[in-house]
Amino acid sequence: MVRVAEEWLSTCGGCEVTILDLGEALLDLLPKLEFVHMPVLMDHKYYGQTGEKTALEIPEADVGIISGGIRTEENKQVAEEMRKKCKTIIAIGSCANFGGVPALANMYTIDQIFDKVYRETKSTDPASNPTVEVPPLGDRVYSVSEVIKVDVGLPGCPTTPELVAEALTCLLEGRPFSLPERSVCDDCPVKREKKAITNLKRPLEKVGFSPGQKFEEIRCYMEQGFLCQGPATRAGCGGAERVPRCIKAYMPCRGCFGPIRAGANPMVDMMGALSSIGLDPKQIEDRMATFNRFIGVVGRLRPQPAR
Amino acid sequence: MGDASFEPLILTFCCNWCSYAGADLAGVSRLQYPPNIRIIRVMCSGMVHPNLVIGALTKGVDGVLICGCHPGDCHYLEGNLKAEKRAEAIRLMLQDFGLEEERFRLEWVSASEGPRFAQVVTEMTEQIRELGPNPYKT
Repeated sequence: MVRVAEEWLSTCGGCEVTILDLGEALLDLLPKLEFVHMPVLMDHKYYGQTGEKTALEIPEADVGIISGGIRTEENKQVAEEMRKKCKTIIAIGSCANFGGVPALANMYTIDQIFDKVYRETKSTDPASNPTVEVPPLGDRVYSVSEVIKVDVGLPGCPTTPELVAEALTCLLEGRPFSLPERSVCDDCPVKREKKAITNLKRPLEKVGFSPGQKFEEIRCYMEQGFLCQGPATRAGCGGAERVPRCIKAYMPCRGCFGPIRAGANPMVDMMGALSSIGLDPKQIEDRMATFNRFIGVVGRLRPQPAR
Repeated sequence: MGDASFEPLILTFCCNWCSYAGADLAGVSRLQYPPNIRIIRVMCSGMVHPNLVIGALTKGVDGVLICGCHPGDCHYLEGNLKAEKRAEAIRLMLQDFGLEEERFRLEWVSASEGPRFAQVVTEMTEQIRELGPNPYKT
């Protein structure tokens, strides 16, 4: 029996749904797993069931699954406690691995964020910052691996059931687990004609395809003028079928699987690639957010100095 | 800023066919220019990926200079035009990374323009000395 603890930090909960979404693979795995701690499914309190303890406590486990990035002091303490109690830590989802959407806030200072949220938006009655019974924010959003040692990272927003099953099976059988070092384009089946693009379309416009048409006959979305992050994004979201998820839904890739290799910067890669095939780079709106939508931490988002 | 003891470090990419020969000419002609540059010879200015420039700047280099053949003179026909397109993207990204645009320069230096190479390097060194150290160099 493998004991599993699961914890969510600064995240939406989509990755937890992915775990439940394993389908039949979950039935094979379940008899071997025992969930000892999982806030999304079970009522297990940090300070004892009646709040009698003084220190944060998570039961010991063999595998610890963490989703979500580290935004608050609470997130940090929970992550550190998980590391202490679990033999193996799996970080699932783009938030845990690269900061995810919450890490877009790294472009602003904490004061700017509080001003925006509590005072500046049109529909908000101005109020002061909350101070009672809320954990303080950290200076920026951190990925889990920046704070504790992570053994396995599964990217994706949300990550895919196939990857979760694969990682858990590898752990159970003692095999090493690794992600492919290919780009989404390497897996993508659409037809490429290798012509330069000069004008960008908005993502709201419809991709050119007819219902029922095979992907092999549809023109590459990037060549159709949609900004697709496939060239600078790691492959693996398509599962066994190998058709990338967004492509399957007739949408260009948005880059949730993060950089192909650790240390790469997808924004710089994309800007370099797009400008050398003839696109005016000024056409790309809001570069920082577009190319770092899920990867604010590795994309090194930070507040812009006043100039 | 304007600290007299600050010696900027400028990474320079010179294309093999024009600018490296230009830099060589500046050397053999014994032209004086500041010793703040480190030259990397590349086959063409068009092969300098923005990754290299942004990577160097975010790792703490004070400036990056790319030198290539004059437009129309490229050994590979249009490599330098590609470099120009990429330079545009690099300038946009410098803003995103909170760096001054002046820290990056693309200049055309032909094989016979030794004096021009020395002048470009002198100018750029002075300019970056004014700007002060790279904010990433902490």
